[in-house]
Amino acid sequence: MKKNNQFLLILLFFTNVAVFSQSTITVSGVVSEVSGQPLPGASVVVQGTSIGTQTDFDGNYTLDNVLDNGTLVFSYIGYAPQEIAVNNRTVINASLQEDTQRLDEVVVVGYGEQKRSDITGAVVSVKSEEIVKLPTLTAVQAIQGKVAGVNIVANDAPGSTPTVIVRGVGTALAGRDPFYVVDGQPLQDIRSINPADIESIEFLKGASYANIYGIRAANGVILVTTKKGKEGKITFNFDSFFGLRSVLNRVEMANGEQYTQFFNEENAAIGGPQLQLNQRYDTDWYDELLQTGTVQSYNFSVSGASKKINYFLSYNFYDEEGILEDSRFSRGNIRSNNTFKLFDDKVRVIQNLNITYTNENPKGFDAFNTAFRQSPLVPVRYDNGRFGQSFYNETTGIVGFEGAEGDVIGRLNNAGNPVADVFFDDVNQNTTTLQGQITLEADITEYLTATGRFGATQGFLKRNEFEPIRQQWLNADPTRTVEQFEFERSDPDGDGIISTVFANNRFETRDEEFFRWNVEGFLTFDKSFGQHNLSATVGLSRENFGGREILEAEGFDVFDQPRLRNLNLRTSAFFDNTVTQEFNQSTNLQSYFARAEYDFAGKYFLRAVIRRDGTSDFITDENFFDNFPAFSLGWTLTEENFLKDNSVLNFLKVFGGWGQLGNANVPINVQQVNTDPDSGNQNYVFGPTQELIFGASFGSPVFPLQWEVTEEFEAGFDFAMLDRKLSGTFTYYDRNNTNAIINVQNTLNSAAEGDFLAQAAEVSNSGVEVLVNWRDRVGSDFTYNIGVNFSTNRNRVENVVPGFDGEVGGGLANGQITKRLQEGQPLFAWWLLEADGVWQNQEEIDNNASVGNARPGHLRYVDQNEDGVIDDRDKRFFDNYLPTFNYGVTIGAQYKNFDFSLDGFGVGGNKVYNGLANTRLQSVNISEEVFNSRWTGEGSTNSAPGADRDALASSFWLEDGDFFRINNITLGYTINNMGFLNRARLYFTAQNPFMFTDYSGFTPELNQSGTDAAGNPTFGNPRFGTGIELNAYPTTRTFILGLSVQI
Amino acid sequence: MITETRTFFSILLICGLCLFGCDDFVEEVEVVDPTAEESGEDFQPIQFVTGVYGRHTDFSYAFSFLGITEIISDNADKGSAPTDTGADKDQLDGLTHTPSSVSIRGMWTQWYKTIGRASLAIEFTENFEEPIDESLRARLIGECKFLRALNYFWLVRTFGDVPLQDVDILTRAPVADVYAFIEQDLTEAIAALPEKSEYAPQDLGRATRGAAQALLAKAYLYQERWQDAADMANTVINSGEYDLEPDYATVWRAITENGVESIFELQGRGEIIAHGIQQYSSTQGARGPDGFGWGFNTPSEDLLNAFEDEGDAIRRDATIIFRGETLFDGRVINEGVENPRYNEKAYSSLNQGQADGDKNIRILRFAEILLIRAEALNELGQSGEALAPLNRVRSRVSLPDVTTTNQSELRMAIWKERRLELAMEHDRWYDLLRQGRAAEVMNALGLPFEVGKHELYPIPNDQLIQTPDLGQNPGW
Repeated sequence: MKKNNQFLLILLFFTNVAVFSQSTITVSGVVSEVSGQPLPGASVVVQGTSIGTQTDFDGNYTLDNVLDNGTLVFSYIGYAPQEIAVNNRTVINASLQEDTQRLDEVVVVGYGEQKRSDITGAVVSVKSEEIVKLPTLTAVQAIQGKVAGVNIVANDAPGSTPTVIVRGVGTALAGRDPFYVVDGQPLQDIRSINPADIESIEFLKGASYANIYGIRAANGVILVTTKKGKEGKITFNFDSFFGLRSVLNRVEMANGEQYTQFFNEENAAIGGPQLQLNQRYDTDWYDELLQTGTVQSYNFSVSGASKKINYFLSYNFYDEEGILEDSRFSRGNIRSNNTFKLFDDKVRVIQNLNITYTNENPKGFDAFNTAFRQSPLVPVRYDNGRFGQSFYNETTGIVGFEGAEGDVIGRLNNAGNPVADVFFDDVNQNTTTLQGQITLEADITEYLTATGRFGATQGFLKRNEFEPIRQQWLNADPTRTVEQFEFERSDPDGDGIISTVFANNRFETRDEEFFRWNVEGFLTFDKSFGQHNLSATVGLSRENFGGREILEAEGFDVFDQPRLRNLNLRTSAFFDNTVTQEFNQSTNLQSYFARAEYDFAGKYFLRAVIRRDGTSDFITDENFFDNFPAFSLGWTLTEENFLKDNSVLNFLKVFGGWGQLGNANVPINVQQVNTDPDSGNQNYVFGPTQELIFGASFGSPVFPLQWEVTEEFEAGFDFAMLDRKLSGTFTYYDRNNTNAIINVQNTLNSAAEGDFLAQAAEVSNSGVEVLVNWRDRVGSDFTYNIGVNFSTNRNRVENVVPGFDGEVGGGLANGQITKRLQEGQPLFAWWLLEADGVWQNQEEIDNNASVGNARPGHLRYVDQNEDGVIDDRDKRFFDNYLPTFNYGVTIGAQYKNFDFSLDGFGVGGNKVYNGLANTRLQSVNISEEVFNSRWTGEGSTNSAPGADRDALASSFWLEDGDFFRINNITLGYTINNMGFLNRARLYFTAQNPFMFTDYSGFTPELNQSGTDAAGNPTFGNPRFGTGIELNAYPTTRTFILGLSVQI
Repeated sequence: MITETRTFFSILLICGLCLFGCDDFVEEVEVVDPTAEESGEDFQPIQFVTGVYGRHTDFSYAFSFLGITEIISDNADKGSAPTDTGADKDQLDGLTHTPSSVSIRGMWTQWYKTIGRASLAIEFTENFEEPIDESLRARLIGECKFLRALNYFWLVRTFGDVPLQDVDILTRAPVADVYAFIEQDLTEAIAALPEKSEYAPQDLGRATRGAAQALLAKAYLYQERWQDAADMANTVINSGEYDLEPDYATVWRAITENGVESIFELQGRGEIIAHGIQQYSSTQGARGPDGFGWGFNTPSEDLLNAFEDEGDAIRRDATIIFRGETLFDGRVINEGVENPRYNEKAYSSLNQGQADGDKNIRILRFAEILLIRAEALNELGQSGEALAPLNRVRSRVSLPDVTTTNQSELRMAIWKERRLELAMEHDRWYDLLRQGRAAEVMNALGLPFEVGKHELYPIPNDQLIQTPDLGQNPGW
C-alpha cells in the first residue's frame, strides 16, 4: 500500500474520500508501557491525517507516508495519549503512561456518553471482540453468561431470538423484553443487527441509568452501538465461518424390544391386547428425524476515515440449516454508517442505514414431541411407500396395518409420524426490514452541543403456508386409496357442499407490514469550573410505533408447484377463498428528559435524571403523562489522600442509586356488557304469553389499568487492584414492580363472571451481582485473563389484593396445570401434587388416601391436608423455573500468535418440568431411562411408577434445572503483516461442546412458552410453558471453522 | 463560515421549538377503547334487572339443584341408569358427597353470581343518570333486592355461615347476619314493589310485594321466629292476591303458570326462540323406550309409601309418573322405561327432550304460606288456630281435616303435610334439617347421615383453594 493515491469509493449513499500526499518518510518503533511492557494494538496516527496503524503483538509498528515534519499521536485505551514530533527521525519509540486519573473508556448511556470512571450505576459494557468471539445469529446470544444479572436463555432453533431477562422477571402479564436501542434509535428486532457490525453493547441494568428511557425501561435497556470508520488507513475486513451442528444432549429412547415389554406390562394391568415379541421394525425416530445442521456466515466490511468523513460499509450473509430436514434460516444484511464532518468538525451529520432480509423455512417443533411418543415398532414408511402410522393387528399382536379377514386393526396410540410431519410442513417466511437514521450534531459553543435525530424503520413479512391435504389424508392410513378421496370430493350426499377435509390442498398467505419512526432533539452541556465538572442534557423525543397491518388469505385446491401457488389460479372452484385483515393501532409517545451530572475533582459524583413520558395508549385515562425520576451518587475513594498513594488498591469507587421505571406494554381491560340474541342467561320471559325479553349483564369488573411502575435501589462498588491486574464490580439490587397487573381468576363467590385484570400485586426481584477479572502476563509471550461473574435473584409475588391471586398456568395440554401465582411465592411457582413412592399393592391403596382409579404401580401422592382425599388442595409449591443464581467463567490466553478462549456458564436453583415424560398417553414410547427404572411388581421399586401409570402433574416430574455448559472453546492463530495482509486469523470454535446437568430431558433451557396465532413459537411467558419441556427445541452443539482477514 | 453556522443553528432552534410546547402529540392518535359506554349501545337499567332474572335460567337449576334439594333427601332417588352417575348425583343420593362434588360447587357459584348481578344492577339503576320514572327505578331496585334475598336464603340454608358478597367475600358472616341482610333486602323490597295485581300484564312473573312477604315469612320460619312468621304469612293470606288452585293436579302444569296460587316462579318458554330453565323437564323425563329425558330425580318408594299411608291419591298421582301410565295429556309412558317412577311436577306436555323447556319452576306458592302459618301458630301454642290453614290445604285434596290440638301431634301432622303437599318442590331436605329430623329419617333408610356434619353442605373445594381462609364446615 505504498501508493500515494486518491481513493474513490462509491459507498451505498455518498462517500467520497480524498487523501493527498507530500514529502514523506517511513517511521517505525515500539510502543510500550512505562514499565517497558509492549502494548499490542496501540494506535499510532499522524496528527491531522488519516494515516495510522496499530501496533502488533510485540508493540511494533511501521508507518509509511509520514510527513517528515509531522507529529505522531500514540494512544491506547486506558492510557494517556502521547504526541511526539517526527523531526525527520525514522525510529520513534513511545512509552505510554496509564491514565489513572480518568479511565478514558467512554460508555454509551442513552442520549449521550459517560466516562467509565464516572459511572455511578450498574452499566455493563461488552465490546465487539467479545461479541464476535462466539459466532451467532444475534449479538445477545453471544453474550450469554457473560453479564452478571442478565440471564440470557438460548433457543437453538434456526432464526430464533434468545430470551433476555435483566435482573429477574418483574411482571406477570406486561411485556418482558428489554428495550433495545441501536445508535439512539429504538430497535424493532435484535435479529436485524449483524453482530459483526456492533462496536459495543451497553446493558443499563439499574434504574438510575435505565430510567432515561422512562415508560419502556422496566425490563432493562440494551444500547447497541454500531461501528464507525476509524481514523487511519482504509480497512477491508473479510470474515467467514462454517460450522456443523448436532443435538447436544439427546435422550435415548426405548428400542422395539423394550417398548414391546412396556406395552405388554401396561396392557396386562388394564386388560388390553398384547404385542408379539418379535416385530419387523425397530425405528429410532430421532435418528430418522434429526440431521447434522450447518451454519455459515460471510461478512465483508470496508471502513476508514478522513478529515471530512468516517465511513463504514458492511455486508453479511448468514445461513443456517437446522437439525430438522429442510428447516432453514438465512439472513442478508447491509449496513452503511457514515459521519460527515462539516464546518471544521463543528457540525457532524451521521447517517445510519441497515437493510436486513431473511428467508426462512421453519419446521414445527411438534415433531420432537411426536418422535418422543411414536412407537419404535412403527416404520418410517411402509413397503407401499406410504408413511408409517401406529396401526397394529390386535388379533395377532403384530404392528402393521395388514390383517386376515376378521382381525381387529387398532392403533397403538394417537401419535403421528414425525418424519411425515416435517415432510409435509411447508412454510416459507420472508422478511425485509429497512432501518435508517440521520443524526445532526452541532457544537454551538465549546461546551454546548445540539443533537437532532430522525429515524424510521419499516418492515415487511410474507408468509406462505402450503398444506398438502390429499397427501396427508392418504398417508394417515396406508389402506386409503385415491379413489376413496375422489369419491368424497364428488359430493356423494349431493348437498352441494364438499368438506375442506377433502380439498387437494390448503394454501395460506400472510402479509404483514409495520412502520415506526422516532424524532428527537437534545442539548448537551459539558463544562468544568475549576475542579467542578458539570454536564447536563435536556431534550425531547417523539415516537410512533406499534402500527401493523396484517392481511391473510386462505384458499383450497391451488396448484402444487410452489411457483404456481396462487389463490386466483385454482384447480377447482369447490371452496371459497377467505381473506382477513387486521390493523393494529400505533402508539404515539411524547417524551421529555433532563439529566445533570456533577462531580468534584473526579471524587464525588452526583447524578439526577428525570424523564416525562406520555403515551396515547392511555389517553382515555385522565393522566396519560408520568414522570420517572432517578438519582445516583458515587465516591471514588482512591482519589482521597488517605488512599491515593497506596500500592495495592488502584481504584475504588462506591456508588448507589434509586430510580423509577415504567412498563407501558400492558394488557388493557375491556368493559363488557354481555347480551345474547338467543337463549343466553341475560334473557328472561315475562307476561302471560311469556315473551322473551332481552336483558344484559356486566362481564367482569373493569379496573382502570395504568403502566406498571418499577422502583429500584442499587448500591455497589467498582475496584481495581494489584496494578489493575485484578478488577471487578459488586452490586446489590432490589427492584419492585409496585403495581403489577395480574389476571384475577374470579372466585366462585364473587360477582365477576369471568377473569379480569387488576393492578393488584407487587413483584420484587433482589440479588447481588459480582464480576471479577484477573489479567496478567507471564514472560513476554504469554498473557492470560480469567473472568468470573456470579449473580443471584430472589423473585417474589407480594402484597396481592386478598383473593386476587391464585391464577393457575403451565398447562400440559392434557387438562393438567403445573403453576400457580400466589403471594409469597416466586412468580408462577410450581404447584403440584407431591409424589411419595409407588403403590405396591391394592391393600395400600384401599387403606390410604388415593386419587380415583389408582392401581398398584401408580404414583402415590401426599395427602397434605390429611382429609383422606387427594385433590387440588393437596398440591403444594415447589419453587419456580427461574434460576436463583447464574454464573459464568471466561478464560482467555495468548501465546505468541496463538489465542485460546474458553467460556462457560451455568444456572442453579431452578426447577424444570419434564412434560414430555409426564404427559405420556397410553402406549406411546418411553425413554430408556423410564423403561429401566420402572416399577415391575410389588417390592420392585418405590421410586418410579410402573408401565401402567397416571398422567397427573406431580413433583415426580419436576427436576433440578441446574446446568453448567461450556459454551465456547476457541483456538486461533493470527498472522500479522504478511504481504498485503494486515492481519489474518484462522480459528476453530466448539460451541456448547459439553453440558453438565442431571436433567433427564433434552435441555433444561426451556424458554418456549407457546405459539402465537401464526403458529410461531413464543418465548418467556412465565404463565405458560416456560420451564416445561413439551416440545422444546434441543440445545445444539456446533463445531466451527472460521477465517478473518484484514487488509 | 460563521454565517453558515449561525443559519444552521437558527434552523435547528426553530425545529426544536416546533417540537417543544406541543403535548398534544399523544392526543393526535384517537384511541379506540371498546368500552361499553362507547360501543354505541344505550343500556337501560331494566335490561340489567332482566339479566338478574335470566341468571335463574341456568342449567344448574335443571340438574345440580335437583341433586342438592331432592335426590339427597328421602323423597327422591338418583334415578336414571345405574351406570349414569349424573356427575355426582349418586354420591348425593348415598350421602357420600364431598367438597369436590360438582353439584355443590355449581349451586354455590350460581347463587353468588346471581347475587353479583343483582348488586351490579342495583348500583347501575341507582346511579342511572338519564331520565327515568322514579317509581320504575324504585321497583327495579326492589326486584333485584328480592332476587338477591332469595339467593342468599338458598345459600344460608345450604351452607350456614357464608360470606356476604356485598360486604366481604373473604369472611364468612354468621347465619344471623346473613338473615339480617336478607330481611333488610326483603323489607326494602316490600316497600318498593307493587302487588301482583298492580303490575301490567306484560310484567307478569316479576317479583311482587307478596313474593317478598312470602319469602320473608319463610325466612322467619327457618329462624323459628314464629310470631313474625305467622304474622307475615297472614299478611300474604289476607292480601287478597292469592288463593289455592281448585285442582291440585294442575298446580305444576302450564295452565296454572303465574296463576292464583303462584307467588313466585321461574319462567320458562318452550316456543322458538326457546328459553327455558334449560332441560329441567328432560333431565327428569322418562328414560328408555319412548322416553323423553334422562330419568333423574325419581320419587322414592318411601315417598310413594307416604302418599299411600295417608291415602293421598290426588297428590300421589300429581307428583309421580308411573310406568305404563297414561298421562293427562294422553302421553303413554312405555312399560319398558328404566325407572318405576318419575317426577310428574317436572313434566311438560311439550317436552320431547329438547334443551329449553317451557316448565316454570314454582318457588313460592300459596299452599306453602298456609302451612307456614299453621306451623308458626302451632309453635306459638295456638294449635287450635293452626288447624284452619292446615285443613284448607288438606281439603283441596279431599283429605279429612286434622283435628288434634296436641302441639307435638299437630307438629308432626304439619310436617307430614309439608312433605306431601310440597313433594319434589326442592324443600324437603331443608325441612328435614330445619326440623332436626334428618339423622333419624335418613338413618332409618340406611343412609349414613352423620350428626355434626351433614347438617350443612361443605364449602366447595375450588372455593377453598382460592380463599383458604374461609374455612370448611364442621365435619368436612
